[in-house]
Formats: sequence, C-alpha cells, structure tokens
Amino acid sequence: SLFGDHWRECPEYLASNECYFNKTYTAVWTTYCIELRSRVHNLTYDDDCFSVEYIVHPDPPIKLNWTLLNVSRSLLHFDIMVHWKSPPSADVKGGWMTLVYEVNYRERNATRWHTLGEESETYRSIYGLNTGTEYEVRVRCKMRNFENFGEFSETILVYYPSTANKEFPFPVTLALVFGAVGVGVLLVLIIFSQQQKLMVILLPPVPAPKIKGIDPDLLKKGKLDELSSILTSQHLYKPELLEEDTWVEFIEVDAGDAGAKADLGEESDTQRLLGPAHHSLLGLKDDDSGRASCYDPELPESELLSDTEPLHKRGVAPPSTPTSAAVAGVSPAVAPAAPLIQTQLGTQTWVNMDFYAQVSDVTATGAVVLSPGQQGGAPEQEQQREKEEEEKENKKKEEEEKVRKGEEQKEEEEEREKKKQKESFQLLVVDPDGGAYTSESDARQIGTRFSYTPGPPQPPTLGVPVGGYQSPYLLVDAPPCPPLPLPLPPVSDYTVVQDVDAQHSLLLNPTPPEPPAPHLPSVKPLPAM
Amino acid sequence: MWLLLWPIQGIVGYPEDCKERHGGNVRCPSITLDKLLDRIIQHAELIFRVSEESCSLFEEMFIPLTIRPQLSRGGSMCGTKYVSGSKGEIQQISDKWLLHSTLIMIQSWIEPLNNLQITLDRYDNAPDILLKNTKWVSNKLINLEQGVIVLTKKMLNEDILLSEPNQSLAHYVTHPDMLESVLTDYSLLSCFKKDAHKVETFLKLLKCRQAERPSCFL
Repeated sequence: SLFGDHWRECPEYLASNECYFNKTYTAVWTTYCIELRSRVHNLTYDDDCFSVEYIVHPDPPIKLNWTLLNVSRSLLHFDIMVHWKSPPSADVKGGWMTLVYEVNYRERNATRWHTLGEESETYRSIYGLNTGTEYEVRVRCKMRNFENFGEFSETILVYYPSTANKEFPFPVTLALVFGAVGVGVLLVLIIFSQQQKLMVILLPPVPAPKIKGIDPDLLKKGKLDELSSILTSQHLYKPELLEEDTWVEFIEVDAGDAGAKADLGEESDTQRLLGPAHHSLLGLKDDDSGRASCYDPELPESELLSDTEPLHKRGVAPPSTPTSAAVAGVSPAVAPAAPLIQTQLGTQTWVNMDFYAQVSDVTATGAVVLSPGQQGGAPEQEQQREKEEEEKENKKKEEEEKVRKGEEQKEEEEEREKKKQKESFQLLVVDPDGGAYTSESDARQIGTRFSYTPGPPQPPTLGVPVGGYQSPYLLVDAPPCPPLPLPLPPVSDYTVVQDVDAQHSLLLNPTPPEPPAPHLPSVKPLPAM
Repeated sequence: MWLLLWPIQGIVGYPEDCKERHGGNVRCPSITLDKLLDRIIQHAELIFRVSEESCSLFEEMFIPLTIRPQLSRGGSMCGTKYVSGSKGEIQQISDKWLLHSTLIMIQSWIEPLNNLQITLDRYDNAPDILLKNTKWVSNKLINLEQGVIVLTKKMLNEDILLSEPNQSLAHYVTHPDMLESVLTDYSLLSCFKKDAHKVETFLKLLKCRQAERPSCFL
C-alpha cells in the first residue's frame, strides 16, 4: 500500500490485511490517498482518498460516574447526574479536538437503549428513573461536525432503593382516581338531565325587541294597515290633516293601482307619483305634485300610517284625507279652472297632491300652472285636456321667455309642433348660461316626451330610471308651496321655477335657482337627460 | 488602516484610539482579551458548523452517489496553505504567525464565497437554505476578520496590515471534465470547511496558550 504525493509503501503491516501509519506519517487537514495493489499482478484493487479529521474515531470517555439529583415525593422516581471525562488521547484543551458526547441508558434487562442527544458537556442529567430498578448507563463521543463516533465507554449501574411499602401509596392513588372519575360521571349525568335548566341559567335568553301590542307577524306579513291602526290607536303618530297646509311631502302610493301598474312593466316612481289613479285609494289626492316638500317629513308618514291601505312598497303613502271626496272635489274644481294646479282646489287637495306635477301652463305673471299626471281615468282625461290648454299657454309663456334667451327658440318650436303625449311631467330648466341645466338637446328630448294627449293614460314607459335624476331641476326657492291659482299662458314645457309668490304662483326665472330643499310641489323633470 | 467595527462594537475598545479621540476624559468601553477571544472562537465555531452543513447539503443534492464516498471523506484536493504540517509542527508556530495565518485564511475566502453565491444562483434547484447559509457565512467571515484584527492588536500590540488577498490561493482544483462546475463548487465548499476547521483550531490553540502555556504543547 502506498500513500502520499508520491507513492510510498506501508511502513508497518500489522496483520495480513492491516497497515499502520503512525502519527509521523499523517497530518491533519491534509488529503491522503491510498491504493491497494497487487505487487505480483500489478493490479490496483482499490483506492481511496481522505483527510485525517474525517476518519477520526475518538476514544471512549473515561471515569463515568453518577450522582443523585433528587427523588420524587412519592419516592417512585429519582433523577441523576451522570458525568465523565474526555478521552485522554484527545487533545481537547489545546483545541485540536472538539468533542460531543452521547449518553445511553436502559433498565438492566431491557433490550433497547435510550439515547440522549449530543452535548459537548462532560455531564448529563437523566430524569424520571424508577426507584428500585437497576439501570445501565454508557457514553461515547465524536468530533463535532464530523461523523464518526468512537466506542462506548464502560457501562455503569445506577440504582436507588425504593421505600418499603410501595403498596401503600398505591391504593390511595387509585382511590383518588376512582373518586375523580365518579364525580366526573355524576356531573355529566346532572348536566345531561338538567340541560334545559342549565342553559337557561347559564345563557339567559335575550328578549326580542317588541312593541307593546304589536305582533311582529304583522310587520312580517306586511299588514301595514293593521299596524297603522294599532299605532294610531296608541297615539304614537299624530296624523295632521293638512287642511291648512297645502303641501304634503309624500309620494302618492296606490296599493291597488300600484300593483296593477307594476304589472304593466317598468313603471317608474315618477309614474306612480304622478299617476292620478292613486286617488282612488286611501281617499287620496293624486294629482298633486311635489307638494311633498312643503310638509314636514314626519307628517306624511303619519298620514300614511293612519291609512288603512297597505302601503306601497315603493313610496310613502300619501297623506290620507278624511274623505275621499277630496279627490272628487279635485276633479270638478279642476275642470272649470284654468289654473289647473290642483293644489288650488282646496286644502284637502293638497294632501293628495302628487309629488310631481306637470307644468301645464304658465301664467303671464310667471306662475306655473301645474297639472296632474296623465295616468288615470276619465277625470284625468278631462284634466289632461285642460292641461293641454294650459300647456299651450305655458308654452307661449315659455316661448316668450325663450325668446329672451334665444337659445331655446328651436326647442319651443319643436315642442309646440310635437305635442305628443309624453310620459310625464318634465320641467325644462332654462339656463342662459347653459350650466347644469338642460341643454338644448336635452330640451329637445324632453320636448319629445311631452305629452298632452287626452287619451287614456298610456302605460308608463318612462324608460328612464327613476332613481337617478341627474337633472338639478329643483326650482323653488320659496318655502311656501302654494298652488298656482292663475292660469298661465302656455309656455314651453320646461322652465325654471324661481319662486312662488304669495298667490302661489310659480315664478319662472331665467336664472337657475339653487334648489334648497324640495319645496315646490312640482315638476321634477323626467330623467330625460 | 482603518479598524473596522466588530459586531460587539459597543464593547470593544481600542484604548489608544479611544483616548486619542476623546482626550482621556471619556471612559472608553473595552473588552478583556479572554472575552474577545471567546467570542471570536464562537464565531469561528459557528462558521465551521454552517460550512459543514452546507457541504453536506450540497453533496446530498448534487453529487452522484458513486463518487460520494471519496469526496465526503475530504478527499478533494485543496490548495496549498500558509500553514500546514503535523500537529507538532503547528504547535511550534508562534502566536503572531498563527494570528497572521488565520487572518490571511479568512481574508482569502471572502471573495470565493461571494463568487459561490453567484454560482449557486445558477443552479436549478439549489435549496434555499444553502443559499442562505452561503450568504450568512460570507457576512460572518467579514466579522471574523475584524475580530481577528482587533485580537491581533490586543495580543501583540501591533497593527496588522490588511493586505489585499492578491495571493489568492488556489483553493481548489477545477475539474475539467464532466460535472465540472458541480465538482468545482463542491470542492470549494469542502476546502472551505477544512479551512474553517483550521481557523477554529488555531484560535482555540491561541486561547489555550493564553490560559496555561505548558499544557498546550502536548
């Protein structure tokens, strides 16, 4: 066998298959290669290269011994500390070998050893040994970060005598255990048998919210009429008759007709609001427009609740009037009067006003004549006819105004020409600046929608989502929302209502007003824009 | 040359410099030689352990089983070193020479390990921990270098020159044939592990000498 940079033969053969290189031949951190050759046949059977530190197997530790750490109270277990010394051949102090140790222990007659992990200390504690049992302990070491363990050290015996009456503690423990189990079983039985009571005690039920006298089922099923009757009886709400108030803030709701209308298809809110057919229900008004803003918000609700009709899900029920004659009163009153704004018809009528109203006419003074919506029955048709007249007047008025602006002339002409029945009221806001208000094109569109036909009310086909009125058409400044008594010359369909004068006339103004709050019971233009 | 900061910077003091700067009024923090040496040794041990882990991991991942036994026992050739020889020879080496060699060794490995990082990135499935370890080791080497410089100054009361490792020792043999880069990288790791072991051993030897002179020359 040879080794080294230039092959040299083994200096010392120990046995037929061993070669000994003493430490003069080897140095750490040096790579050596060896080959096994046959001298005779000149063959190389095997070869290997290595570095000394990789193949080191340290000698076993010496002077293994143990000391008692403590014994458990029950005298059943005890802990020990095992200690030893590093093998003398290992130069640990000089730092040449850094060793880690592994401890094994087992009961005297057991087959498998317990292994405790590698530690670089020369002592180790073992916990939980049983008294009265003999144990064997041994230790071995290896170089840290290298692989090869050395041989095990000698095995030492560890023993601690147990107390004489080992029997004594035993029954006590057993008794305790049984007792605990019994108690546990008992508890479980109790809990199971008294489950309900316990649940109530531990987790008292939270009372559901309630109003005295009202059955929550009513609310669920939507029987608002009963509900409102109950509420009324409790004087929770005070329906104020709007006899003196002329503005009602509400959206006319016609449960029956509303349902019917719903069947018709996309009925917009506006339609419903404007729909005069609502008057049949609840004894309400119908053609009233926009008065809603004039009332306190609460009032309408109270009005609503006092109704016995089911509320339309969409809107707030229009304020009820004591008599349904209000509606009737409206029609005849309307018929003769040129100013069709039905708000004029009487205080009661105010109650029944629609949220929106169509401008049917504009008086010479600039007041706007509102007319009810087109939907409805015969009475409405009449109204509509009258509206038409008013509208014409309005148009004229509007025309005048437009002349001033100049821009809208085209619109007027168009509108006048068309005069088709439109779906709803549309208020054209005239804005010379062309700011946020309808532009010419818008007006044109609006104009096309303008409808005056006296025919049967067309199914509402606004086709425009009601909800999103973009048009800032709120017009009225003035708080009072009186009806417009004066018949106004027909003007263009759309105009800006600037103010409402003492005579309850809508004052039209070229400049677009700031819409404070929906005061005017009128015209919300249809979302034509 | 500037003495770079040791990680335990707050404690390490250079009495002379400190007083020069602050004019003797300020108490300069300092560390005893023993403590300093202990910490340096801890660093060296840690570096060695991490290098060993990296080496094993690399071998598991990339070295074919057939050639594993040979390589894993340190069979790869490493470049010539400053210090080599038997234990007896090394024990004869003076402190100064030991420190100097240690420093040279540390410095000589900083660059190759940086290169190794780049090389490892090119591996398809190099485990993250391997990359992390390599990076960590590179950083720690720099710390160790600084520590040794401080130590040298303390032990020998002289400044050590930070010479550039122009003499970049050929640390490993490149294998021109198949598995070339893999074996080269493995050799690099293996030889670094060896040198890390060397550094640790030298430092421990120095510590032994600091403690009790005679018994260290077994």
